Amino acid sequence: MKSFINTYESLSCAGDTKELMNAIYAQKSAIEIDTSYMHQTPVGLGKMKKSDFYKHLEDVVYNVLQKSNLKNYNSTLLIVGSSVGGMVESEKHYFQDKNYTNIDPSRHVISTISEHLEKKFHFLDTRSLSTACTSSANALLLAKRLISVGAYENILVVGADALCYTTVCGFHALSVLSSKPCTPFENTREGMNVAEAIAALLVQNEKVEDSIELVGVGASSDAYHMTNPDPEATGAISSMQKALDDAGINSQNIDYVNAHGTGTVANDRVEGLAVEKLFDGVYVSSTKAITGHTLGASAALEAIISCEVIKQGKVPPQTALIQQENEHLNIPIDVIEKNISYVMSNSFAFGGNNTSLILSKVFQ
Amino acid sequence: MRVVLNIISASKIFAPKKIEDLGEKRIVPKMMLRRRLTRNAKIMLYLADKCNFHGGKIVYASAFGELQATVGITDAILNKTQISPTLFQNSVYNSSPSYFSLLNGDKDEIMTISSGMKSSYDALKTAALQAFISGEQVLCVATECLDIVNIQEVNSCSDYLEAGAGVVVEITQDEQDACEIEVLEKKGIIKSLHELMAVVEMSEKGKQKIFIEL
Repeated sequence: MKSFINTYESLSCAGDTKELMNAIYAQKSAIEIDTSYMHQTPVGLGKMKKSDFYKHLEDVVYNVLQKSNLKNYNSTLLIVGSSVGGMVESEKHYFQDKNYTNIDPSRHVISTISEHLEKKFHFLDTRSLSTACTSSANALLLAKRLISVGAYENILVVGADALCYTTVCGFHALSVLSSKPCTPFENTREGMNVAEAIAALLVQNEKVEDSIELVGVGASSDAYHMTNPDPEATGAISSMQKALDDAGINSQNIDYVNAHGTGTVANDRVEGLAVEKLFDGVYVSSTKAITGHTLGASAALEAIISCEVIKQGKVPPQTALIQQENEHLNIPIDVIEKNISYVMSNSFAFGGNNTSLILSKVFQ
Repeated sequence: MRVVLNIISASKIFAPKKIEDLGEKRIVPKMMLRRRLTRNAKIMLYLADKCNFHGGKIVYASAFGELQATVGITDAILNKTQISPTLFQNSVYNSSPSYFSLLNGDKDEIMTISSGMKSSYDALKTAALQAFISGEQVLCVATECLDIVNIQEVNSCSDYLEAGAGVVVEITQDEQDACEIEVLEKKGIIKSLHELMAVVEMSEKGKQKIFIEL
C-alpha cells in the first residue's frame, strides 16, 4: 500500500506555508535577534508572530481537515512528533513558584499535544514520539509503515515544538547558537537558531489530485556520540541509503536534498560529507536559514517544504551563502526552476538518531 | 490490524525510590561513560542485559523522560548558574536507547514513544510494527524515573519512583495459546508502564504469546 501526502499546513516564524515558501524563494530570513531568553547575550531565534501555541495548533490541524476529503478525524490516527511537549507551561509555573505545586504532570509531557488535539478533534487513536530533532521524521516514517501494512487508511502527522528556555539555554550551553540568522554550509557560520513551528500532514492510502507520495523512509543510529555526529558520516549515509532502497530508486534519481543543515559546524560538515559521498552533484540547501531549527517539528515542516518544492518545480536557494565550506557540494544561491520528481529530506538528532525521507511526484 | 507477538525474553524491575543494584560496573565497564548515564539509561541497560539483547531495533518508551536532567536545567536557569552540557544532552527522551546504541555499537533504528499513560502500550504496538516490517527481533523497553527532590508535590500516581520493564519480541504466525494483554497484578506501578509490565508478568507465568493491534 502506498502513502500519499494529500493535504498539509504549517505555521512558523516565516508565517503559514504560502508565506514560508515565498520567504524561502525570496531568501528572506524570519529569524529575529533576541535578548530575552539569554540575558545580555543576543541570539537569533525563530518566533511565531503570536504567542497562543495551542490555538495555533488547533488552527493548523483544522485547516488540514478543511482542505482534506475527510468530514472529521474519527477514522484518522494522530501521530505527534515533539521534543519539548508541554515544557513551556512547566517552566512558567516553576520559574514563578519555585516549586512544582502548580505544574500539571499531564500538561508537562510530550503527549500533552496529542491529548489537546484529541479533545478537540476526536481521533481514532493517538501516538506521540520524541526522538529530539528527528521526532516528526520518525512520526512520518511510522505513518508510512502503518499505511504500507494496511493498518490505517488515514494518519495525521503533526510536528510541534514551542520555544522554551530549556532548549534555548541548553543549546547555548553547548556553544552552538548563532547571534545572527544562521548561515548553513557557509565557511564562517556561527551556529544554529532555535525556533518554533507547527506542521501537519495528512497521509492517506489513496491519492487525490495533487498528492505527493511519501515514497521512501530510512533510519539509523550513529553509535558514535550523544551530540556530535560521526565524522565519517556513516550514520547519515546509512539513513539516506535506506530511504533510497525503500523507495526503490538510486541517488541519481534525487533532484534536491533538503538538508538538516542546522548551521552548526559539526552538523553541516558531516551532512555535507554524506551528501558528497552518496550523490553526484545533487542540488542541496537548508531552509533553516529562513525558519531556524524548529527541533521536533522540523522534519514535518521540511516535508511540507519538500512537497511545495516538487509542486512548484523550484529548488530553494541557500540564503546568505557567500563562501561555502565544502566546495564539492552543489548549493544553489539562486532559485533553480526545473522539473523535480524526487526530494530527499534529512533529519538528524541527539543520540546519533538519523532519519531520511523521500517525497516524490505521483507517477501513474 | 492484529498480529501475534512471541515474547522471547522479559524482565522488570522497580523500587520505592532508587533501585540499588543495576549492575552498572559490569554492563558499562568504562567509567567515563558510566558516569554520564541517566537513571533511565541505567535501568534500560539493565533490562536489555536481562533480556539478553545486544543489538537490533529498539522501541523505548517513557511518559516523563529524563526528569532529573530537565530539573537540573530549569534549576540552573532559575538560579542563573551555568547549564551542564551533559545535562542538556541527557535531557532528550531518546537518551537511554542512545546510550545503549553507543555502548553496543548498535546502528539500527531507535524509536522513542512518549504517549503519556499509554506509553508502554503504544511502544508494544510500535515494536510489533517494527518486528512485522523487518522480520527481526525487537527490544521493547519502558522506564520511568521520578526520584527527584520534592516529587511529592506532583506525584499522585506511583508508589515506585523508579521502574521499568522490557521484552524482546518477534512476530509469529502461530496463534495457538496467544492471549490478550492481562491487567497488571502488581499495584502502585505508574500507569505508563502497565501494559509492558503486564506482558512481563504474563511471560513469567509461561504465557509467551500476545495479540496486539498495530
